[in-house]
This record gives sequence, structure tokens and C-alpha cells, in this order.
Amino acid sequence: MAKPKSKNLILASTTYERVVHWVLALSCLFLFLTGFGLMFHSLSFVARFFPGGHATMKLLHNIDGIIFGIAFLFALIAWGKDTLYFDEDDKKWFRVLGGYLWEVEKVPECGKFNAGQKTFFIVLFIFWFIMVGTGIFMWFPIFPPALTRWLYVGHVFGVLVLGTFLVIHFYLGTYGNPGTFQVMGHGYVTKAWAKLHRPKWLRDVEAGRRSI
Amino acid sequence: MIEKVMLVDVSKCTACRACQVACKQWNKLPAEKTQQHGTHQNPPDLSWATWNLIRFTEVPLKDGGVKWLFRREACLHCTDPGCQRACPVPGCIVKTPEGAVVINSELCIGCKMCVNSCPFEIPRINPENNKAYKCTFCWDRISHGLIPACAKVCGPGAITFGDKDVMIARAYARAKALGGDATVYGDKYVQGTHVIYVLPEKVRMYERMVVNPSIPISLILWKDILKPLSVLAIGAALVGTFFHYVIKGPKRPEEGGE
Repeated sequence: MAKPKSKNLILASTTYERVVHWVLALSCLFLFLTGFGLMFHSLSFVARFFPGGHATMKLLHNIDGIIFGIAFLFALIAWGKDTLYFDEDDKKWFRVLGGYLWEVEKVPECGKFNAGQKTFFIVLFIFWFIMVGTGIFMWFPIFPPALTRWLYVGHVFGVLVLGTFLVIHFYLGTYGNPGTFQVMGHGYVTKAWAKLHRPKWLRDVEAGRRSI
Repeated sequence: MIEKVMLVDVSKCTACRACQVACKQWNKLPAEKTQQHGTHQNPPDLSWATWNLIRFTEVPLKDGGVKWLFRREACLHCTDPGCQRACPVPGCIVKTPEGAVVINSELCIGCKMCVNSCPFEIPRINPENNKAYKCTFCWDRISHGLIPACAKVCGPGAITFGDKDVMIARAYARAKALGGDATVYGDKYVQGTHVIYVLPEKVRMYERMVVNPSIPISLILWKDILKPLSVLAIGAALVGTFFHYVIKGPKRPEEGGE
């Protein structure tokens, strides 16, 4: 998007970040759709959307797993340096859980990502590894059956954790935090939004200490 | 009684392999290239095209001699089949009223979950079409009142087929008559298998015979615990976020901002 005329708006995410996020989001949703179609007999009607039914659905699930798996590597480049650490303010943030659950006088200030978002990314990192690792050897089972059956356990555990996280992530990124969705939309947010959600980041950007 | 049991009395088996051949003939399964390993084992293992074979075991004895054991190896047709629990495609693995567990290979998507979830490691994949195959209990024969091809052809009467309770009673009577280490194998596992063995020797003496088989713990953890738990967790997250919005409300930036 072209730079908006309003002084009140500030760019919160680069084109690279937004594209990577959309690839991750769409491939992830498709993995859930096809995965649920395979996981629950009651949802096997999903297979009817694909010519060739279950066999096609499974193959697309496998291929999409590769897309998701590679997309996450780009995500790691985009967000790894801002998420894979915790500082003192993050510890304070955890103590009040960002003010999301009870009234808090002052939510500890955070940079580009708060401690909750960092946790989300770290959990995603761990389960990206688990899902891709188990998925590949479910697709190409080179291990003996006694081991391969434990991969199914790991994979469904990933569904449990990632499915729950996805719901919360979706809520916090949309109607739970008005104005946030544009971070993955056209990328511009109001400065009021940035002051609330990324106070340290806003100061850094305005002082020229970081570009974005 | 509609539920049937196949009794394999190993003490009567002469390893003639007529059952192996009859199985291929009835099910129109192609012959395979085989390998010689210095034993009578031929072919070396079950495959997508070999659903029934005689498994030879040579057990060395203390006096320098060898005990030569052989038994029919094929699907045991569990009452609680791990393969069926694991299969993601509805109707692909079915149980018939007779007790047969049948893979409808046309519906198979080649995910191999049945292969890895069978306590007896029976199903096999055809690498050419990536579909799973195994013994069908000759459901196409037994549903028309015939007995399975392997039982039909068995000369020494080692493989017999009939009503469940009759066959189980016969198995125990036979094991008792044999005495010694003779045991009945099958009726106590996975809620009862529909192929039951009378083994003259201890179970562990026979190659690829699973001692105390059961549904793998991983399969229970996967299908009975984590799967419903994931529905619960995702549901709780949906309900939780909804009420968070209603009770706590969204986090809004100050109007107008800076």
C-alpha cells in the first residue's frame, strides 16, 4: 500500500512479513481442514471437495505440510530476532498476563512483540518441528511400526496445542484487539494502536533506532 | 451362530502349504519372486500378494538337535482391530457379522496407519498402487455359507472353521489332550481373535508370534485420549475467547491517539 497521507498512521509490518504471514495462515488453515477430514470420520465429507476424495485430500495435506514447513523458515527470519528471547519487562508482563485477564493499572511496556506473542512464536517453533518431523515419517514410514505409531501420537498432540493456539491467536489478532488485523492487512496501524501495543517499538521507530 | 472362528491346530499341520496356494488361487493373487535363505521359509514374509503363509521356525536344542516348528501365519481377525481404529477413511476397513476384518482396498489411500497399528503387523502395502491388503477371512465365501479356501483345502485337518463357541471349546479340549506346553492362543486377546491357534509349544518359540498381543498404548493415547482432548481444548478456546470478549471486552487504543 502507498504511504497514507495521515500522520496518525505508521507502518507496523513489512510487505515481506505480511506475505509470509498470509502464506503461513492459509497453508495452516488448509492443513487443519484436510487434517480434520482425515482425523474425524464425522468430517470425512471434506474429502468430497476434492476430486479423488480421501486420497487427494491426504496428498494435498502432505504437500501443504511442505509449504507450511518452508514458510515457517521465512517466518523465523522475519520474527526470530524479536521473539526468541525474554527480557525483564517480559517477566513483568507475564506476572499480569498483559492485563488480558484482570484489571491492571499499568501493563509493562513491550517492544515489537509482547511476552505472550513471543511465547506463541516459540511454541509454534517447537510444534513446527514436531509436526513436520512426525508428518514426514508418517508420509514416508522408514521406521518400524512400533516407533511409527508414536509419530501419530505426536502429530495429534500438535493438533491439540496448535488448534487451541490458533483460536486464541485469531481472537487476539482480530476482534479482541481492534485495529490489529491491519498489521497483516495493508500493514498500517494508528499511532494510538502502536502506543498501546508496542510502546517501546514506537519510541525506537520514531527516534530512528529501528526502521520497523 | 453367525460369529465364526477359524481353528488352526498347529499340532496337525504338516507344512504342506496347500493353504498358501489355495489362498492365492481363490483371491487371484499373483506369484512373487522369492528368495532362498537356507530354510524352508518361502516366500520369506507376508506381502500384499501373500496373505497366508507357513512360518517355519528352527529352534536349536541343548542336545545339539533342532526343533522344527511351523504354523499358518495370516490376519487373526480381531474383535477389536487396531487397523480399523487407525484407518482414517470411513468404510475402508469393516467388520462383518461373521467376525472378518476386511480392508476394502479400493477405498484405501495408502496412509499405512493400519500397517503400523496392527498388533500382529499383518497388513501390507502394494508399492505399485500404494494400497493395503491382507487376508479377508474369505468373507466372500463365508457370507455364502462356504468355508475359507485355506480351511477347505487343508489335508490333515489342521485348519477348521465353524461357530465361535464350538471352535473355542474344541481348541481347549485339543490343548488339554495334547498336554505339556500346549496352549490356546487368540480368544483372550483384543477381545478375542477369530483365528485361534492350538500351539503344542510355548508361544515365544514361534517366530513372529506376538506374546500377549494388545491394542498398542500409542493407539489408545492417539485415538481415545488426545483426539477427544483436542476437540475439548479447541472448543474451550472458542468458548473462552467468546466470553473474554463479553466479560473483559476488547483492548481498544485511545480514541484519536497521539
